[in-house]
Amino acid sequence: MTPDRPDAPSAAAPKLSAVHLLLGRVETFFNLVAALCIFVLMFLGMAQVLGRKLFNAPMSGYIDFVELSMATFAFLGIAYCQRVGGHVRMEMLLKAARGRLHWALETFGIVIALLVISVLIWYGFGHFLRAYQLGDSTIDAQLPVWPSKLLVPIAFALLWLRLVVQLVGFTRLVRHPAAEPVAVPTVLTVEQLAAIEIEESVGKVTPSKGGG
Amino acid sequence: MDSFTIGIVGVIALVVLVFAGVRVFYAAAAVGLVGLISMLGWDAGAAMAGTIPHSKVVSYTLSVLPMFILIGFLAFHAGITEALFDAGRKWLGWLPGGLAVGTVMAATGFAAVSGASTATAAVFSRVAIPDMLKYGYDKRLAAGVVAAGGTLATLIPPSAILVIYAIIVEQSVGALLIAGFLPGIVSALVYVALIVGMSAINPKLGRPITGFTWPQRWKSLPGTFPIFAVVVIIFSAMYFGWATPTEAGALGAFVVFVLALARGMRMKGLRDALLESAKLTVMIFSIIWGVLVFVRFLGFAGLPEAFAKWVVALDVPPIMILIGILLFYTILGMFMDAIGMLLLTLPVVYPAVIALGYDPIWFGIIVVKMAEICLITPPIGLNCFVVNGVRPDIPLGAVFRGIAPFFIADVITVALFIAFPEIILWLPQTMKMG
Repeated sequence: MTPDRPDAPSAAAPKLSAVHLLLGRVETFFNLVAALCIFVLMFLGMAQVLGRKLFNAPMSGYIDFVELSMATFAFLGIAYCQRVGGHVRMEMLLKAARGRLHWALETFGIVIALLVISVLIWYGFGHFLRAYQLGDSTIDAQLPVWPSKLLVPIAFALLWLRLVVQLVGFTRLVRHPAAEPVAVPTVLTVEQLAAIEIEESVGKVTPSKGGG
Repeated sequence: MDSFTIGIVGVIALVVLVFAGVRVFYAAAAVGLVGLISMLGWDAGAAMAGTIPHSKVVSYTLSVLPMFILIGFLAFHAGITEALFDAGRKWLGWLPGGLAVGTVMAATGFAAVSGASTATAAVFSRVAIPDMLKYGYDKRLAAGVVAAGGTLATLIPPSAILVIYAIIVEQSVGALLIAGFLPGIVSALVYVALIVGMSAINPKLGRPITGFTWPQRWKSLPGTFPIFAVVVIIFSAMYFGWATPTEAGALGAFVVFVLALARGMRMKGLRDALLESAKLTVMIFSIIWGVLVFVRFLGFAGLPEAFAKWVVALDVPPIMILIGILLFYTILGMFMDAIGMLLLTLPVVYPAVIALGYDPIWFGIIVVKMAEICLITPPIGLNCFVVNGVRPDIPLGAVFRGIAPFFIADVITVALFIAFPEIILWLPQTMKMG
């Protein structure tokens, strides 16, 4: 998985770079909300099991609440993950393709993504709207369902913006294959990937002998 | 076109998109969406696809995933690697190749809890290789042990990938987590036997390290407590059913969280661990719903049943088909992340394997083990690159040669699992159901 590194503004495509960075802030915020929800889920789960086992007093509606709140960490970080190139893919052909062909393949991937996400925003919103208009609630705790469903089109809308930025970024590279990549994640070689894994888990390694 | 033909076209389209480098969840959702629209019409098809992300993901069973992931990222801040290695060498150093044996056991423990195979290889390259080289251990053995030790991550609970398998094939999460335990231990013991055997035959590879007193040994244990705590919490919760997987995961995460705080984790460390957990979580959830859109389409096309019928009708012994499937996974695993590979292939492969009469739990352990072996095989073998990156003085070629015996050991382990399915199935069968 590609890590997220703080991007610096690029002089090569200043406008694109500025939009990329601005959007990046929103994405990081969304991902932070998702992260905090995971943290809260940890405390909730612990409280639930301790409450049930030690005091015989489980929280009512725990499962309903967990299920509805799952939409946060299931969706909010999706654009962040797209920005840093974190979503799984097979890079065999991409690595083999050089220059214009490489950027064309990347562009193709973004076009497919944009088509799918556009449809899913529309119909995901419809899914929310029905729940809102009918006043759907969970069976057990009677919690309203629509806020959870609304998170899907919101997260997808942010992803849509990110995909548009990357589409601009990649088409720019199709036109100028040798230009500096701006606002797009790049394919890493296995050596680069290894270097990042190392940096994340044990810190920087100096190439001198005896790094331990 | 009849629905079956549409299904075949869909599968081919998906393969093409994935090979073209389209991110797996877009590719799966795109083909599923177009397929559903072509069968049900624009509005009904797209509306069905539009409900899948929320309705399929918002399910209590899946909430265990972020908990297991969080345990893994917090584990890096709990300072347990040094303690594990120290305990490993003090307790197991007296064996032939003792330091390498201690490393394997320590890496197994850390990998089990962190769930991060590659990161385990990185951490232990730094912790264990210097010590092994100091005592004159063979470089290739030292590198091989560290690269291979990380691969034991996925079988011993907590294991996110076993949870994903369970959810996709609709089996009990608890049963799979329990089933992974013994095979994980057996895999580690096969590694240990390999090191001891090689070092007994050729003492130059690695000599025994002696001279530790019993009080020293006992004193080395408390530092490894978090590992045992997490494994015991999750294992016992599943086995005796005193908590749901999510609750057990939350409890385990909390234990590691408290220890990480005690070890001096600061706000920055916590923030990083949480953000990384969120990123990995959304990555997994995206691919789950993306693949489920595709699966819904496949279901309408009737493809999994048709494929299963075809496979069963083949005039080939089931074991040959199974070996064929495993070879297919080995090759695919060289080019693709294990989670993506399993999610993409299981909807079609799984019904066929079950129709052949294999046990769903057993098959899950086997495929996950196969996926993990791919982390050490060329041409990718990410773990080997990581060891070489931390220790540039050990050339990549030497790491790959060092890993070769472990690869053979893994193949033998898989053969053991196929020959003796009880290794996998015995524990879950003794589980208290309900």
